[in-house]
Amino acid sequence: MIQKQFRHALELLQSWQQPNGGFPYYSGEEARPDATAWAIISMSAFEFDPESCNRGRAYLASQQADDGRVSISVSHPEASWPTPLAIFAWESIPQYQEAQSRAVDYLIGFTGRHFPTPDPSIIGHDTAILGWPWIADTHSWVVPTSLALLALKMVGLSTHPRVIAGQQMLINRQLTDGGWNFGSTTVFMRELHPLPECSAIALQALAATTPIREVKRSLDYLLHELPHLRTPISLGWALLGLGAWGLRPTTTEELVRASLQLQERYGPYPLPSLALLLCAVKASHGLHSLFRSLPQETPVSSIHN
Amino acid sequence: MTTSLKHTEQPTLSRRQLLQACLVGGGLAVSGFSLLHWLTAPRLTAHTFIGQAETYDTDLAKLIRQGFQELGITPLEIKGKRILLKPNLVEPHQSLSHINTHPLVVRGAVEAFLSLGATSVVVAEGPGHRHDTLLVLEESGLADVLYEDHISFRDLNTMEGVVMPNLGGQTWMASLTLPRIVKEVDWVVSLAKMKTHHWAGATLSMKNFFGVMPGNYYGWPKNVLHQAGIPQSILDINATLKPHFAIVDGIIGMEGDGPIMGAPVQSGVLVMGRNLPAVDATCCRIMGINPDKIEYLRKADQWLGPIQESLIEQRGESWRTVHRPFALVPEIPAHQGLRSSKL
Repeated sequence: MIQKQFRHALELLQSWQQPNGGFPYYSGEEARPDATAWAIISMSAFEFDPESCNRGRAYLASQQADDGRVSISVSHPEASWPTPLAIFAWESIPQYQEAQSRAVDYLIGFTGRHFPTPDPSIIGHDTAILGWPWIADTHSWVVPTSLALLALKMVGLSTHPRVIAGQQMLINRQLTDGGWNFGSTTVFMRELHPLPECSAIALQALAATTPIREVKRSLDYLLHELPHLRTPISLGWALLGLGAWGLRPTTTEELVRASLQLQERYGPYPLPSLALLLCAVKASHGLHSLFRSLPQETPVSSIHN
Repeated sequence: MTTSLKHTEQPTLSRRQLLQACLVGGGLAVSGFSLLHWLTAPRLTAHTFIGQAETYDTDLAKLIRQGFQELGITPLEIKGKRILLKPNLVEPHQSLSHINTHPLVVRGAVEAFLSLGATSVVVAEGPGHRHDTLLVLEESGLADVLYEDHISFRDLNTMEGVVMPNLGGQTWMASLTLPRIVKEVDWVVSLAKMKTHHWAGATLSMKNFFGVMPGNYYGWPKNVLHQAGIPQSILDINATLKPHFAIVDGIIGMEGDGPIMGAPVQSGVLVMGRNLPAVDATCCRIMGINPDKIEYLRKADQWLGPIQESLIEQRGESWRTVHRPFALVPEIPAHQGLRSSKL
């Protein structure tokens, strides 16, 4: 039984689907791979309209390049950051196993621009550890690396060298007092501020394969931030990130409803924001608990240990 | 921006001076021709306006309207126009008002443009470091102003892009992908913050347009532009976008390790103008920075606009009366040698 507000949000997503099977970022715009993947992930989580999801998956497959990448648009192949999202959307669907496999191969072979750290007094993080970039031929950053790790771990590649390196990269980019920003630590010896959305995605990506002691300060940071978060991206990822470590708040549904209510003030949310909130409602133990390959239950950990 | 450029009369030279100039360096014909061209070519000029506002409680809409008047911007010119205001919202943190364009400056600019008859004013930004633009709006305090005043906002990071030929030619990028909305408005206005910057020296109205480039195509941070070269990218974006106006919030700016980690500094000014290099050069003078030492301004000089003091006609306050040197960080290479030597 889906609660009224969440069912309404799902029906809204469904209504945005276009004849080509894709979903737009906002109603009335052209379909986009990232929005389509998010629509499929959230609707699948609620087992809502499987036929609509299948048409969405077909649209995603139509957007896949020969080398396996799924980019934000065919005219911008360098912006391949939606590829992990497509891997999620194709998960457990035999018809798209080959497409998913090619996307995984692309991610394994794709990395950012890396180089020896030029001068630690200028850039504090280790610039040589391989991760994933937003855009080809640029440096690797926290969010695209986290999304790639989530996708690769979901398909059972938790021990792949790229996954190991990606996790090391995230640990290296963690800030001294906890949390992550977009992916820098210190610049000219000044430590930058953490950001909740980046911290939550990184925590989500490190769950189940990283000892809690290595991220305890970041969990503390995110728990401290949580009461102040209302907007869908930060709140949605925070709920997922904490859930992945067994720290999902008991008030999750209430928080999500309050965030949905904010649309009366700010106007309609874009599709990925709505979908993220819906995933946060359904994923009891982080995003990976929506899928089959990873453990469904992460042991509840007391971060005070 | 080009609409505001004017060419001065040719500098007056006596025949003797001209002859002497041509003969300098041995009198080679080629050198003589180049020098002659330099001496006699029309020079770009511009006007800038400096308005004093000690605090954000000042009637900023009135001050901006005064600036419009001084700069010759009339209701006839603005009536019916669709205006896009692009503030600088980087990494807001509650209580740190020196990082971002202040919400009351945004409100003042909206009111000023509407009072001159603009059909619509939309505020739009693509924060360089953050995906959660809505949280950026909330933390910066801008969300309240937008809501109270019924001002629409667009997230440029996620907006569909339009590919345009790169008219700057300073980077390897043959084209730039700009957010669709820039083709749907009549005026693009940089609503920038007066800050030092640890990679570019200073971030003012021209650098502010990094935030126009959608994160979907340029990343978070907009690392494609870093790889292409920050000064070069600033020039390419400005040459392609052709912005129409700039208002720089220097009421409280940022000195030291800007654009995020620096300290607040009260300059108490808004700096405005149609020509962005001229506005930024004026800001630099207020900040105690030699604009010739800022690479993107030096390269913009006499291409996108003037930066030499003699070619910028000052309206409102003189920059000398509001001159307040911003602290620079000696260890930061981009800050080295920036200080202007004299008033």
